[in-house]
Amino acid sequence: METVINDYISRELVQDPALLPLADETSLLETGILDSLTFLRLVIFLEERFGITMGDADLLPENFTSVNTICAYLRAREPGKRQASRG
Amino acid sequence: MGDLPAERLLRNLEGAAYWAAAAPVLARLPAALGYRLACWRGDWLFRRQDGKRSEIARNLQLVLGNELSPAAAQQVTRDWFRLRSCEAVDVKRLRHGARPLRRLVEIRGREHLEAALAAGKGAILCTGHFGSCSSGFSVLHASGFPVTAIGRWHHNYTAGLSAAERWFWDRVYATPLRRHRQRPNIEPWPGRFDVAVRAAAALRANEVVTISIDVPPMDSDRARAVQVPFLGRQVWLLPGAVTLAQVTGAPLLMGFLYRAADYRHQVWEISAPVPVEGETATAFERCAAELSAAIRSSPAHWDFWLTRKPGHGAAGYGTGSLARLGLIPPQRDSYEMDPIG
Repeated sequence: METVINDYISRELVQDPALLPLADETSLLETGILDSLTFLRLVIFLEERFGITMGDADLLPENFTSVNTICAYLRAREPGKRQASRG
Repeated sequence: MGDLPAERLLRNLEGAAYWAAAAPVLARLPAALGYRLACWRGDWLFRRQDGKRSEIARNLQLVLGNELSPAAAQQVTRDWFRLRSCEAVDVKRLRHGARPLRRLVEIRGREHLEAALAAGKGAILCTGHFGSCSSGFSVLHASGFPVTAIGRWHHNYTAGLSAAERWFWDRVYATPLRRHRQRPNIEPWPGRFDVAVRAAAALRANEVVTISIDVPPMDSDRARAVQVPFLGRQVWLLPGAVTLAQVTGAPLLMGFLYRAADYRHQVWEISAPVPVEGETATAFERCAAELSAAIRSSPAHWDFWLTRKPGHGAAGYGTGSLARLGLIPPQRDSYEMDPIG
C-alpha cells in the first residue's frame, strides 16, 4: 500500500524534484506537496484505487500528513478494523 | 484620502441603518419605487463621499484609461454607488422563498444549467465580484438549482470589526443569503486544503458550485496561480475553477448578473460550457477573457473599483484587490471600506 501511494504522489503530485525520492514519513503539507487541488487528486486516486468513498469526517489533515498516515488511515477503514475499533 | 474617525463612524452608522431598517422597508414597496429610492440613496452617497468617489474615478482611469470619457467615468462612479444600494434591497427581497426577487430576475441560459445537471456531474458556475452575484446565487437556488458557493463572508475576515459588528452583518447580510444555499459556503483559507475536495463532493451530489475567479491569490496559493490577460494587463489569478472541472468532469459555465437600466430588473446571462480540455492556463484564459469583457461592458457592476486599505482584512483577501491583482500601482493610502457598504 505504501509503495502504491508513494508512487502516485511522487509521479503525479510532487512539483519540486528536490523532494524526490519521497520518504514515507515526509510531511505532505509542510513541503507544499498537498494543496487544495493536489489533495483533490489524491482523494480521487485513493477512492478509485481502494474502492472507498470519503466523507467530510474523513478529510482531516492528520489523516494526510504523510504516506504513512494515509496508509494508517486506510488500514483503519478496513471493515474488520472498523468493527473491532467500535466493538 | 483617509477620513476622520467621526466621519467614518457616521458613515458606518448610516450603512448599518440602511441595511437594518431602510432596505427591509424598500424591499416591501413596489419594486419600481423601492429601487428608485435605493438609487436616490446611492446618489446621495455619491455626492457626499468624496474620498470613495475620487478613488473609484481614479481607479477607473488607471485601469480602463481612455476607454471611458470623464463624463462616462462620472456616470459609472455614480452607478457603482446606486448598484451597491440596490444590492441591499435585493438581499431583503429574498424572503418568502425569494419570490419577491425571483420575479425581477430573468435567467438566460437556464437550459445550459439544466443540461449540465442532467449529465449528473454537477456544474461549475464561474463569475466574478460582479453585480449582486450573491443574491443572484440565492435566486438560482430558489429557482431549483442547488447552489453551493466557494467564497468567504467578508465580515468574518475584515480586520478591526467587533464581535457585535460581525454578528450584525451576519444577521442583515449573510443570513438571508445563506437560507438559499444547498450547504454552507466553502470558505478558502490559508492552510485549509480541503476546499477543492468539498467542492468536488458538492459536484458529485449534482449541485451547482459557484466560484469567483477575480480574487487575488493568497500568498499560500501563489505557486499555482497562472498569468493571464485581464483588463489589458497580465494578471496572476487562480485557475482552480478550470482544474476542478478537469478533475471532476463537471462542465464549467460562465455567469454574469446584469442590472437593467431601470435598476430593478436583472438578468443572469449563463453561457454554454466553456471548453476546458488541454492546458489549464489556456482554458482559464477563456474564463478571464469573459469576465474582462463583462467588466468592460458594464464597469459599474464590478465590486473592486474601490480598494481597501492594505491590511484591512485577513490574509490580504479583499484588501486592495486592484493593486494586488497588479491592475494599479500599490496604494500609499487607500480608502477604508465598510465591510458591506
